[in-house]
Amino acid sequence: MSSEPIERRVSYIGDRLKGSQCPICGKEYFRGKNYCGKCGRKSFGKMKDIDFFYDQGNLEVSTLVSQPTNRFVKMGSYIYGIVAFHNGKTRVPGRLTDILIEDCKIDLSCFDGKNVVPRFRRRYSVGESDIIPTISLAFTLADGYYPHQKYEIKKPMREYETPGIVGYGVYTSKFRIKEGNMERSVPFIDEDAVTAAVEAGRMALIHSGVDRSLIGKVYVGSESNPYAVNPIASKVAQVLKLGKEEKMDGVQSVDAIDTEFACKAATSMFKDASSLVYYPKTNTAYAMAIGADNAQAAPRNELGGELDHFVGFGGSAFIFGMQDVIAEIEGWYSCTSDTPDFWRRDLQPYPRHGGRFTGEPAYFKHVLKACRTLMEQLNLQVEDVDYFVPHQPNIGFPVKVARQLGFKEEQYELGLKVAKFGNVYSGSSPIGLAAVLDVAKPDERVVLVSYGSGAGSDAYSFITTSQIVEKRQRQKFTVRHQIENENLEYVNYTTYRRLKHGL
Amino acid sequence: MKLQNPAIIGVGRTKFGEHYERDPESLIEEAGLQALDSTGITRKDLDACYLSDYFLQVTNKIGLEEGFFSELLELHVPMEKTRSFSSAFLNACHGVQSGKYDIVLVGGMEKMTDRWDKIRDDLMLLEDPWSYYAGCTPEANHELLLKGYIKKYGISGEQLDKLYLALAKISVKNHQNATKNPLAQYNRAITVDNVLKARNKSCKPLGLFDFAPISDGASALILASPEAAKRCSDTPVYVLGSSSATDYITFPSREDRTGFIANTSAMHAALQQAKVDISDIQIAEFYDQSTLLEMISLEDLGFSKRGKAWLDIYKSCEESCGFYEIEGRKLFVNLNGGLKADGNPLGATGGAQIFEVFKQLRGEADSRQVEVNGEPPKLGCVSELEGFGTKAYIHILGRNQG
Repeated sequence: MSSEPIERRVSYIGDRLKGSQCPICGKEYFRGKNYCGKCGRKSFGKMKDIDFFYDQGNLEVSTLVSQPTNRFVKMGSYIYGIVAFHNGKTRVPGRLTDILIEDCKIDLSCFDGKNVVPRFRRRYSVGESDIIPTISLAFTLADGYYPHQKYEIKKPMREYETPGIVGYGVYTSKFRIKEGNMERSVPFIDEDAVTAAVEAGRMALIHSGVDRSLIGKVYVGSESNPYAVNPIASKVAQVLKLGKEEKMDGVQSVDAIDTEFACKAATSMFKDASSLVYYPKTNTAYAMAIGADNAQAAPRNELGGELDHFVGFGGSAFIFGMQDVIAEIEGWYSCTSDTPDFWRRDLQPYPRHGGRFTGEPAYFKHVLKACRTLMEQLNLQVEDVDYFVPHQPNIGFPVKVARQLGFKEEQYELGLKVAKFGNVYSGSSPIGLAAVLDVAKPDERVVLVSYGSGAGSDAYSFITTSQIVEKRQRQKFTVRHQIENENLEYVNYTTYRRLKHGL
Repeated sequence: MKLQNPAIIGVGRTKFGEHYERDPESLIEEAGLQALDSTGITRKDLDACYLSDYFLQVTNKIGLEEGFFSELLELHVPMEKTRSFSSAFLNACHGVQSGKYDIVLVGGMEKMTDRWDKIRDDLMLLEDPWSYYAGCTPEANHELLLKGYIKKYGISGEQLDKLYLALAKISVKNHQNATKNPLAQYNRAITVDNVLKARNKSCKPLGLFDFAPISDGASALILASPEAAKRCSDTPVYVLGSSSATDYITFPSREDRTGFIANTSAMHAALQQAKVDISDIQIAEFYDQSTLLEMISLEDLGFSKRGKAWLDIYKSCEESCGFYEIEGRKLFVNLNGGLKADGNPLGATGGAQIFEVFKQLRGEADSRQVEVNGEPPKLGCVSELEGFGTKAYIHILGRNQG
């Protein structure tokens, strides 16, 4: 049984690695402290709040844990050690994550002295009805898959007349399963839709350089929230410190909401986020829309198990605003019909689908309608579009729909990433959009068409601005980085199921 | 004001190990009766009782130990419960020294195997919660300390092999000592090869034979004022110095992570109190939760120079493993087998350590008895820790009143 007050206190400090610093002597502490042990009464009430979440640590000493305590058993063997921040001003205990250790065969000497990055993860296993514990005392090597990146707030340079994307981020894990011509992203055992949403949001903040306290609303679209009731968005807001925070009560001035509409839960909110930042009376400078999923699928030998060939893991986050826009929104169109081609009933772990009927009457009908209507409204010809990014549940559907719309391979291949990450459900078409934005030149038009079972599609047209090029330098963790990184680790089917099932 | 040194007049303990069929009450009853019987006094002579256990609340759902003990003895005297035996003992010393009590019983018990499946999790209650949240285990900090030590002193290559061998020999020595201790949990000998193989099996620097086991057991003693001691016993053992010190619960936050400051402070204070020099100490019981802690204790308590304990052990064990020879002086350590082989039923462990020194000083240790200059040792010391060096207790015991 979990203690709700303890979970609140531990996650409030541990998710963000909150600490305090003495303004007189500079001594630092992990966790809040009202006075400095060295300066005593002089420092009372003057201690400064600091976070270690965006900092790089150093793993000073480490050891292999092969017989963990009970709640850690599902993690298998792992490396545990002491991480020093700021040249040893503070030391914290830490677990290295994202390492699969088989039969404790691992060279321990290669970890000591390495720089590490704090990662937001699940803390350990708990009962199915308990609050899910999280913590950022999990670390990965800074020279590995996930680089250390500073979050630096940049002063906005330019105001735009139309709202658009100000920054974005994509997060997929370092594990992959490769079958045939498809690679799919596999979460590590301590990852889920919540951790992916936080990571994607963190990447978007790093890329945009916007002041996180100016983000007025965060939307998280997902169909794999580990909770039936309890938002992912509140966790994202807390960990990423979105909105102004009152130190007194630990409450942030931000609106946070989860949305659900199968794979279009996030794209649907792009227009809401844009409208919000455009509406003059709201004083909302920025809004963030995240799509994150640990895409669920029944095992292959069970009903609905066909999905198990396609599902991926990851998230994407887009920050919308009116300043320093990298892609303006030219227009949008959405359509909906009551077509239940894919569904998951309450209390069921895996979704079911309508087999052949997920195609023509569902995916194709809605994607074609949304795309054609938008292009008509904007008076666009196929040649006017530089990049076309459709929802990508498999390799076949998006290619077929692109061709039916008259798009050529060079228009759609760049945004087609399902063969690298699998179907990331709510993150699927947004990751395609991110892949395009990673390389697009200024003044190019991108058409995005999502699809959510149930069913509906959102179509958007974006026009890139000149600022897309300069902002690109800020992000090392690009879509390409996540596809081509040498540290990717490939797992077999059994391991994939175990990791995906999680703690 | 000069406080009078209290004296131990009788000791008792159960065998340590797995007591599947027995309740904690029956264990403490056995140890307590033994201690009383050895003095000739009865329970009605007791002015107070000091009890210790760490986990009875967790393992046996016993939350008010004093009541159980009152019922057991059918006594209504003051009783207090603390965590470690040494803590109970130190408090008992204060009670006697203050003149409030003449004769008190100190007893400790633990029933760790009653919750075999979660006792390692429970042991994490002795660490800070953040280390637990980050995946720490009862063994992990020992390995981090060892790695920090090796790094600090730049030990590598052949020297490092010797250090690891020295640690293995500590375990072999303690098991050898336990073969003569019928109450020990493991009274059988092991070889260096056993230790090394266990390390290889777990792919870790410290293996199964480097760590103390999980145990059940109880221990007890009778403490008396010097006057009462003289009435009840011809050969009391005096508590010449008894001291404790503390350190941060969070190991990563400590300034020094290659030893225990608390142990050093407690030893310093106890030596001052006892007005003896460290070189006068002939036997010692260390808190060897791991072989590493026996080695580190040699340094923390001041027997070996910093960074050199492994070498002292290595050299001492080249011929025999009976004692350490440091700068020409003999030191017998963990004659009962230490926590490693005697067992470590947390709340009772300190009692077994004092039990051993008491028996050795009185020349009553049977086949374990050691002699210095042809007679039983005169001065011994006990070092007990709570947690991973978070609290340290030192007791200096002697045959002379001081």
